[in-house]
Amino acid sequence: MNQRFLGIGVLAATVVAGAAPAEVTFNEHIAPVIHGKCSSCHRPGQSGPFSLITYKEVKKKSGTIEEVLLDRYMPPWKPVNDNVHFANDRRLSEGEIEAFSAWVEAGCPEGDAAKKPEPPEYPSDWYLGEPDLVVRMQGEFTVPAEGRDIYRSFVFPVNLPEEKWVKAVELRPRAKAAMHHALFFIDSERQARKIDGRDGRAGISGMGFLRREEREGGIGGGRGLGGHVPGAVPALLPGDLAMHLPAGADVVMQTHFHPSGKEEVEHAELAFYFADKPPSKPLIPVQVPPAFGRLAGIDIPAGQADYTVRDHVVLPADVEAISIGGHAHYICKEMTMTATLPGGKEMVLLEIDDWDLDWQDRYTFAEPLKLPKGTRIETVLVYDNSAGNPENPHDPPQRIKWGRESSDEMGSVTLTVVAAKRGQSEMIERGIRRQTGARALGAVVAGIRDREKQLSFDYHDQDDDGKLSWAEVPEAHRKGIFRNFDTDSNRVIEGPEAAALGKWLEGVRKRGRR
Amino acid sequence: MRGVLSMLLAVTAVLPCAAEVQVFEVLGGERVAVFAKDGAKAAVLVFIDTECPIANAYHPELRRLEKKFGPQGVRFFMVHADPETSVQKAAKHKEDFGITAPVVIDKGQKWVKKTGATVTPEAVVVTPDGGSVYRGRIDDRYADFGKKRPEAKTRDLELALTAVLAGRPVPSPRTKAVGCRIFVE
Repeated sequence: MNQRFLGIGVLAATVVAGAAPAEVTFNEHIAPVIHGKCSSCHRPGQSGPFSLITYKEVKKKSGTIEEVLLDRYMPPWKPVNDNVHFANDRRLSEGEIEAFSAWVEAGCPEGDAAKKPEPPEYPSDWYLGEPDLVVRMQGEFTVPAEGRDIYRSFVFPVNLPEEKWVKAVELRPRAKAAMHHALFFIDSERQARKIDGRDGRAGISGMGFLRREEREGGIGGGRGLGGHVPGAVPALLPGDLAMHLPAGADVVMQTHFHPSGKEEVEHAELAFYFADKPPSKPLIPVQVPPAFGRLAGIDIPAGQADYTVRDHVVLPADVEAISIGGHAHYICKEMTMTATLPGGKEMVLLEIDDWDLDWQDRYTFAEPLKLPKGTRIETVLVYDNSAGNPENPHDPPQRIKWGRESSDEMGSVTLTVVAAKRGQSEMIERGIRRQTGARALGAVVAGIRDREKQLSFDYHDQDDDGKLSWAEVPEAHRKGIFRNFDTDSNRVIEGPEAAALGKWLEGVRKRGRR
Repeated sequence: MRGVLSMLLAVTAVLPCAAEVQVFEVLGGERVAVFAKDGAKAAVLVFIDTECPIANAYHPELRRLEKKFGPQGVRFFMVHADPETSVQKAAKHKEDFGITAPVVIDKGQKWVKKTGATVTPEAVVVTPDGGSVYRGRIDDRYADFGKKRPEAKTRDLELALTAVLAGRPVPSPRTKAVGCRIFVE
């Protein structure tokens, strides 16, 4: 262990001094970095597609490693803000990346055999040691060899006779190559198990069942149980903090699979680590915008590359921020949460400049961040709905609105906090709910206006040419509109067709007002 | 300008030892001669690796291409770019991913060096005269590491094979493949 840090230190010092080490070798310089930042995932039995422990393994993959390091694709770590320190930061320093390139350039020398490091040791079984409880997912799900990414949710019946406080969960997937990531939700009303298997296969299709979670602001926040992300090692919550698991509740795992080229069967195990007593203060999720942006009016025109959503709340009391994480779908590209302290000082809490749905992690602050009463917490989300975004689910681009399917959009950043003073937790939750409640009312009014707007021909005629093309009509209404009004079936509503449609919309609008 | 030049070079480059190009030692030790007597119109070498997730994810697509173009006289070979891939590992990998094409372990990285392939998966289309008429990606599903399109928009290998069979020039003879870098020993 000491040796490892010494190795990095020596390397960093040499690089900082501006002179590359005389010769960068695997044993002395490269192994400590790879073992420290890569091997926890890139080892047999884990989710990394190949092992990176021995000299030979790393040498063979050296070109690929250099490329993904320079690209910052690996190790997976999305925040780019350096003003706050996160625990378990997996990033390599510029110096470490430069040293890796120098090693490749020199032909990957192994170095002095006497300096060969011990391979890293991992607990052979569960990462966090013997769990307090292990449950298995209901049913087996076959992931096909190919096809689009799959979002599917599975139920873990936990069946606890009494409530518990959870310090950590750890997942052991079976479909290791296909499972990309998973998020855990508490289903205290056991609603999900009722619809499990409804389409003839284990689990629940899509991302759409978590309505209650949306209300309460879940993903990885105070109400969820965190997630399983490749590259992130499971960790116990700091101090006496713990997540509440009500008696009788199920856990629902929302899973993202990438078909891997061969068929795999998922039948995961989930381990729990419990605290022996409730925490002194509960975790409070501060989700901005609330309900994953459901009320934020997300409505992204086809082709727009920088559609921006902003929302904020003001903290009603002093808090300590524990962790932060975001959620959005494919076309979100930037995500920022900024705290503006009462004196006007700004602090970026999370900045992601290249959002990737594949790597939605939660980031724990190395030390709890103190944020005083009156701090304004603002989220800015930017979406790219242009054809230039390869991850756009629609080709050609289509108007995208808020929704639960992966081809819809949503978005929010959740800051998980505890009250600075005991006894203020409920007041803080109420204060935040009041602000988001006012926002909800505003959204209902805006929704009515939006529906009115949608009943106008001009609103949909985005290029103002007096015609409606196939792409201009929202998918949900396309069939009906074109069947009834596109009399010459050329997929354009024009001339007399447009007049007829306009007249019909006007009628619906008037009836709606009455 | 440099791009155009290198493309021209790629089109006209005749692989050295044209005669040797025609013989592949496949898994199990059998030597398969292409073009010699079976009337094949083209051979496709696809460089693969047992551990590259991008290469592995392409096997269903490669199977489909082989099924479509095999009967039209195109011979597919899956070539393990890592010369130290063991026969057992390659055989298990063939079984796991349902590979139907003959599998070659590139001893001495002969094919890697001849074709100039740099990543897995990368496809090289060779014609009976020993010329390489296409080298690059199978399609554009991967725009970059971690940037995957829901579906491919341009199926470059398929376009190349269609052109070769029709006797037309390949539209883009050289494309950039996204995948795992081949370590040349």
